[in-house]
Amino acid sequence: MKKTLPALIAHIAVILAVIIVMGTLGLIAAGVASEGSEKFTDEIERNVTLRILENDTAKEQGYLKELLDAFNAEYAEYGIKAVDANMDQFTDLETGGPYGYGPDVLYQANDAIMKYVDGTRKHILPLPVEQLDCYEHIGKNAWDAYKVTIENQDFICGVPVNIQQPLLFYRKDLLPANWETEWDDDKNGVPDMIEYWTDLYRYSQTIRAQSASNYGYMKSLNDGYFASGYFLSYGGYVFGGEERNDTSDVGFSKNDGYLGAKIIRQLASVMNLECTEDTITKNSYSRMAQGAYFATMTTPDVYTMFIKEMVNAGFTEEYARENLIMTDVPKLPVSGDLEDESQGFKDMTVMGGINGYAISSYTKAPNAALAFVNFATSYKMINRRAELLGISPARGDSAEALGGLNANINNNLTAGTIYVMPSVRALGQVWTPLQTYCAILADDSLTGKNVYVTDEALKKGLENVDNQIYAAIHTLG
Amino acid sequence: MKVIEKFKNFFKTLPDKFKAIPYKLAKKFAGAKEILVQGNGKVSASMIVMGLGQLLNKQWAKGIMLLFIQVAFIVYFVLTGATDLFGFFTLGTRAGNAWYGIEGDNSVVMLIMGILAILIIILYIAIYIANIKDAYRTQCALDTLKKPVSFKQEVGTLLDKNFHKTALALPVIGVCVFSILPIVFMILIAFTNYGDNIVPPALVDWVGLENFGKILSLGQFAPTFFKIFGWNMLWAVLSTAINYFAGLGLALLLNKKCVKGKAIWRAFPILAYAIPGFITLLGFKFMFSYGGPINYYIQQAGGEAVGFLGLDAKWSARFIGLIVNAWISIPSTMLLATGILSNANTDLYEAARVDGASAWKQFIKITLPYVLFATTPVLISQFIGNFNNFGIFYFLRGSLNVDGYFLASDTDLLINWLYNLSINNNYYSIGAAISLIIFIITSVISLAVYVLSPSYKQEETFR
Repeated sequence: MKKTLPALIAHIAVILAVIIVMGTLGLIAAGVASEGSEKFTDEIERNVTLRILENDTAKEQGYLKELLDAFNAEYAEYGIKAVDANMDQFTDLETGGPYGYGPDVLYQANDAIMKYVDGTRKHILPLPVEQLDCYEHIGKNAWDAYKVTIENQDFICGVPVNIQQPLLFYRKDLLPANWETEWDDDKNGVPDMIEYWTDLYRYSQTIRAQSASNYGYMKSLNDGYFASGYFLSYGGYVFGGEERNDTSDVGFSKNDGYLGAKIIRQLASVMNLECTEDTITKNSYSRMAQGAYFATMTTPDVYTMFIKEMVNAGFTEEYARENLIMTDVPKLPVSGDLEDESQGFKDMTVMGGINGYAISSYTKAPNAALAFVNFATSYKMINRRAELLGISPARGDSAEALGGLNANINNNLTAGTIYVMPSVRALGQVWTPLQTYCAILADDSLTGKNVYVTDEALKKGLENVDNQIYAAIHTLG
Repeated sequence: MKVIEKFKNFFKTLPDKFKAIPYKLAKKFAGAKEILVQGNGKVSASMIVMGLGQLLNKQWAKGIMLLFIQVAFIVYFVLTGATDLFGFFTLGTRAGNAWYGIEGDNSVVMLIMGILAILIIILYIAIYIANIKDAYRTQCALDTLKKPVSFKQEVGTLLDKNFHKTALALPVIGVCVFSILPIVFMILIAFTNYGDNIVPPALVDWVGLENFGKILSLGQFAPTFFKIFGWNMLWAVLSTAINYFAGLGLALLLNKKCVKGKAIWRAFPILAYAIPGFITLLGFKFMFSYGGPINYYIQQAGGEAVGFLGLDAKWSARFIGLIVNAWISIPSTMLLATGILSNANTDLYEAARVDGASAWKQFIKITLPYVLFATTPVLISQFIGNFNNFGIFYFLRGSLNVDGYFLASDTDLLINWLYNLSINNNYYSIGAAISLIIFIITSVISLAVYVLSPSYKQEETFR
């Protein structure tokens, strides 16, 4: 054994030495901190290609092409070429960005964008928003949707473009002929069933009493995004804290949030069991077109779907546009009871979102990307966007110029009746517990189980939702 | 009873198998000891530098090749291997900051590269040992005045006697890179804190068995795990049995001479098989929904709408899941059984008929053992497939949390729960720990069933 063993040991020793020495050197080298630098230097990169991720509607309606052409022409002297990133509109920057894939500029909802800077993540850049032309024209609430605080310092990581809020869609031609005398108590020329949930509820009851197949207000009540508004209107909240992002404080049941549960139960009673699942959402376009539903609640981006279905149902487009009305959601009774108007009414708070632009931290041309964002959020381009896509601009001057609902929505955001979706990743944990509870409430009302009749039962159910959300976020965290 | 007996025997022989391990090891290493004692200077040379002994024996091609491997190995470790290996243990020491373009360590990439470095070390050790054995073989040949095997001869054997090695070399490398590496990666993730907010550029750390501890100790977690596991086992057994026997039954039925238009009848189940599964599932979800056709007819008949997949629909939803799964899976079993039955020995049936065996007896004694023998591996894969059947309840009854379950519903399988936990909630490490448990359960069951099945024990029976 003496003959060869030393050779074997020598080989092992050499290999081990190589591994240990090189490994240790690698560790030492890793310990030497490399210095970074600010990315926005005001010096626009030349001869670069920017990949722009836009939403599908912008592509379909030709807005993206218009935007890219206009930008490329404007910045031709720099040799910058903005192109469609050709990626799914919900592309997750986190999965590809760090490895060199993904867009340079992305347009997504605030909750989607801000999850890229949640916790230790830094996938999108903090922007020098004061330099942008739109800065002065966008309200604080909209900017706050893109604010992140890291080590006590605030950063803005997105530029608001479009305010999303649920609206009431109704068929004007299905209003009762005598609405001006019977359904307009305040004589303001607006049908009461469009103005107040109590009247919409009463009108739905009337329709149900007249026909077994027709309904008044119909909506999938298990849809947490839309249903959350009822809880938020009575003091409930998603997450606590000044920035509404303290996930240790889940608050749907806080204050009088349970009154929202009561409203949902009552609304279910004028619908059918389809409201416990997504059937109504799927069927609402055709059922509204057929006149089987009088009203529903959804976001303005699907307006054309309703028009299309009405045209398919035999109406002219002109008639459809004249009679399919989008309006602000009705006011809720202060009492939290759709049969009690004695305490007056309050504006309904709805869950909303703000879509906007962000710049990937992995872009090779941050200054060119910033120039693109500045161009895309200019007064001219935002107005064009609103005109083509029917969005509600976050820019106050654009909203004012466009008027109508746009101005209302912008004012709602300022007034706080749009509860902007918390810009934290944990929001994803909210929906399943919430929609399960809303479905339970509707089922309870329609099947006569009557488990959730008392305020205590409603409160307890909602507290359970809060606990489930808290557990989902924190049990394993 | 036979199965129980087989299990008993298997466990009875386990101590003997363990006792035999030292003997087998000693036998294995007897050769190594011999080389260490008897090896000459050239063998020592090969021990110091791979291929050196071969070069001294004037085996130029082989020597240069081995030397090249040695050099390549050292170069790899100098350039990146050593850092990768150390990175496997540290999982990074420098956090990146994309805002300022500071590139930090990516723990996940480091883990993968570390595993790769370990695999390369294992490969190197195997080649190193082969190098020493080769040098010693040459020494033995020269000592006995034989001509050592030339490089040409050795290459020749790789195309002849040792062709299996040549043929398997690439697949083995492929399996290591594309199969073993991801599996090992997934297993190791279960021992880290990867997930939630700890995702690159944040640095991931090793946490030992903490994740398994969480699964078993968290008040809400353990009951959910066992409830889902119990249903998952029941689901896997029932769905496999239903799909298998219904598929076999259909094949037997369509194999009957009296059935007219067999091609047309066989086409129907194939159509169901050909339609993408999720489309079928969404179709069934609609059919059983409150607004679907089934409830429409119930209401037209004067009844009340039934929540087949609703909130309280635990068992009806489970039953619908079994039926829908059968709808999707029976055609494949039917096709398989049809193929196998077409090769069945008709003489056996003829003999059985002469002996007066009934149709049932023929099925039990001839058809079933024959089909079972041929399809046991498929049966096992179907069992595993059903155990991990993600789509059925995700599409039929997703996005539902039920009281008494932690982030799950009463129809969720472990794989659905795993998805809720890991993808929806970003708890990758917990997800990996649960998938490791699923992996252990399914592999133990599959191995036990396969080893105890006639397909394994009586391989020659039907040849």
